[in-house]
Amino acid sequence: MTAIGVGTYAFVDGRLRDGLLDEASRQAQFNLSVLLPERLPGEISPESYAASGLREAFRLRGDVETIVDFGHDIVDVSNTDLLDAVGTFPASLTSVAGSGRLGFAWLDVAGAPSLVVGGRQGASPVFYFVFQAQTIESALAQLRLGLLVAGLFAVVLALATARLVARGILRPVDSGSAAAARIAAGDLSARVPAGGADEFARFAAEFNRMADSLASSVQQLRASEDQNRRFVSDVSHELRTPLTALVAEASVIESGLDGLPPDARRAAELLVADVRRLRILVEDLMELSRFDARAEEADLRPTDLGGAVRAIVAARLRGASVDGPETPIVVAADMRRLDRILGNLLDNAGQHAAGAPVEVQVRGDATSATVTVKDRGPGVPADALDHLFERFYKADASRHQGSSGLGLAIAAEHAKLLGGELSARNRAGGGLEVTLSLPTADVDSGSLRAGDGRDTLGPDAADGSGAETAPTEQARPNA
Amino acid sequence: MDARILLVEDDPSIREVTAIGLRAAGFEVETASDGAAGLERWRELQPDLVLLDVMLPRLDGLEVCREIRRESTVPIVILTARGDTIDVVVGLEAGADDYVRKPFEMPELVARIRAALRSRRSGTEAGPAALSLGPLAIDTAGRTVRRDGEEIALTRTEFDLLVELAQRPGQVFSRDQLLDRVWGYDYLGDSRLVDVAIGRVRAKVELDPANPELLLTVRGSGYKAAR
Repeated sequence: MTAIGVGTYAFVDGRLRDGLLDEASRQAQFNLSVLLPERLPGEISPESYAASGLREAFRLRGDVETIVDFGHDIVDVSNTDLLDAVGTFPASLTSVAGSGRLGFAWLDVAGAPSLVVGGRQGASPVFYFVFQAQTIESALAQLRLGLLVAGLFAVVLALATARLVARGILRPVDSGSAAAARIAAGDLSARVPAGGADEFARFAAEFNRMADSLASSVQQLRASEDQNRRFVSDVSHELRTPLTALVAEASVIESGLDGLPPDARRAAELLVADVRRLRILVEDLMELSRFDARAEEADLRPTDLGGAVRAIVAARLRGASVDGPETPIVVAADMRRLDRILGNLLDNAGQHAAGAPVEVQVRGDATSATVTVKDRGPGVPADALDHLFERFYKADASRHQGSSGLGLAIAAEHAKLLGGELSARNRAGGGLEVTLSLPTADVDSGSLRAGDGRDTLGPDAADGSGAETAPTEQARPNA
Repeated sequence: MDARILLVEDDPSIREVTAIGLRAAGFEVETASDGAAGLERWRELQPDLVLLDVMLPRLDGLEVCREIRRESTVPIVILTARGDTIDVVVGLEAGADDYVRKPFEMPELVARIRAALRSRRSGTEAGPAALSLGPLAIDTAGRTVRRDGEEIALTRTEFDLLVELAQRPGQVFSRDQLLDRVWGYDYLGDSRLVDVAIGRVRAKVELDPANPELLLTVRGSGYKAAR
């Protein structure tokens, strides 16, 4: 490629220069042997030359400048830029021209690439004709640029071709591993492009068959899971009407217990308690089915955790003690969900450690806050701790009475929605403690306040006229 | 107390036992089993309160609610299914004063009905007999509101809410405070009750409800009446 380029360049260069040289020689020859004797037949002096009009005549014949060297540093130039030019002419030119033959040289004259042809007619002064070679130079420069671009293009083309050829060989392998990675990441629609008849094609077919069967099993699994969830949701909804009647009926019966004979009264009491249990179970199931359907959204607002916990405990389990700092611990929370979480933890503690004191502890630092509910019940076996938040998990039969077995699972779902989590451990000295951990809110973050929240803390609450919105106002204990 | 309640509920068991429970609590109860019949009974009886199931055959409970509101400011409590949060908002926007979720126990229902019937002013707190808020003249004894001499019909809840705010112009009330004072919720009331009721009052008393000048939202805190 480079050789072709260089060859081309040399050839074009040669042809262009030869052409100009031929033309220049013919013109110089004509000027010296025809025009000069005709106009200045006698001796040629600077004065007679200037008066002869030859200077203009030469120029009129072609785009040429003329330098006449009269010797003794006397020159006549057609263009003042050329005054010093003769001094720069090489001896090879001046000596040949002085000898009466035509001499030529490619020179930079007055800053322009030129062809200088020199000669004399008999004893005449030496005439130098300066022809512009600029057009040749620019043509050559364009050619050089063209060749360079073509060369680079060829190199890039060659590299790209080489890559494509290599890729063509490696592509099936690449696409196979890419598809495997996508499937591993859970995208079961990933397939290897099929085609061809080599071992890659067989690999692709096998791979795709495996992926198809995986996708269809997963789809079946998901469909039946969805079906199950829908079933739970439908059942709960269908149960609601009879349950509403039952709950209302039970509460009417409860208010009339005193008028019943002893046996009927006991049965009525059991009925009332069982209806309550059924209600809790159905409502818990419906609540979980809403989580499963992802229909739950947290309504997060900056909340003082200590104040909220005190209010919830006061409303839910009055005998429990609350220990926490007086300064607000601000978390992004949803009061309703906080109430569900702590309500369930307190129920759990109250049920399994009836009579024993339940302690609630609130702690917080710059990054997280915790609420721990501690009971003095029997605790749970160590291997059961991890399963405590699973649905219907029974650590032991006694830790299950009077609840749906879903309370802790529901609490865990709510905690997750608040960006937190639940954990459980046995206490030294007996009993269980369950901890809710929540990220601490950045109080200054405007986004949390944007909701115009009911339980929002805000310095803008005060209006100068004695606004009463204090952090703990958001959830006041039952009076 | 012998307030008369119209109960509109399609399930016979729920209707019957609820009526029993309410009568036992001292109310006079009339019932209807579908929406159209409910509307008819309401016109005939002019009860003191309507207890309305949202899911009703023939005429939807929400539609019944809107129809009643076109003609009356009678307190309306709707019965909604737990978890159907849209029912609650739509019901409140249709003009309901409060809602009770199904299933409910009688004491809970009775408490909500009493709160809806109770006039805030009949309590221990005695305030001025007449208030004004901008162009509004509020007669707390007669429970009427006039704007430039023209009477505006407000429901009991809407009136109480307006009076609560107008009594202390400029003071910010949190939603929880308003839930306590106007609706009688002392723990975890639904803040949407306040927001929707504020919207309803604004629609009636403000010249441009979208740019309220009398009842102002205090971002992040609650509401206040303009000074």
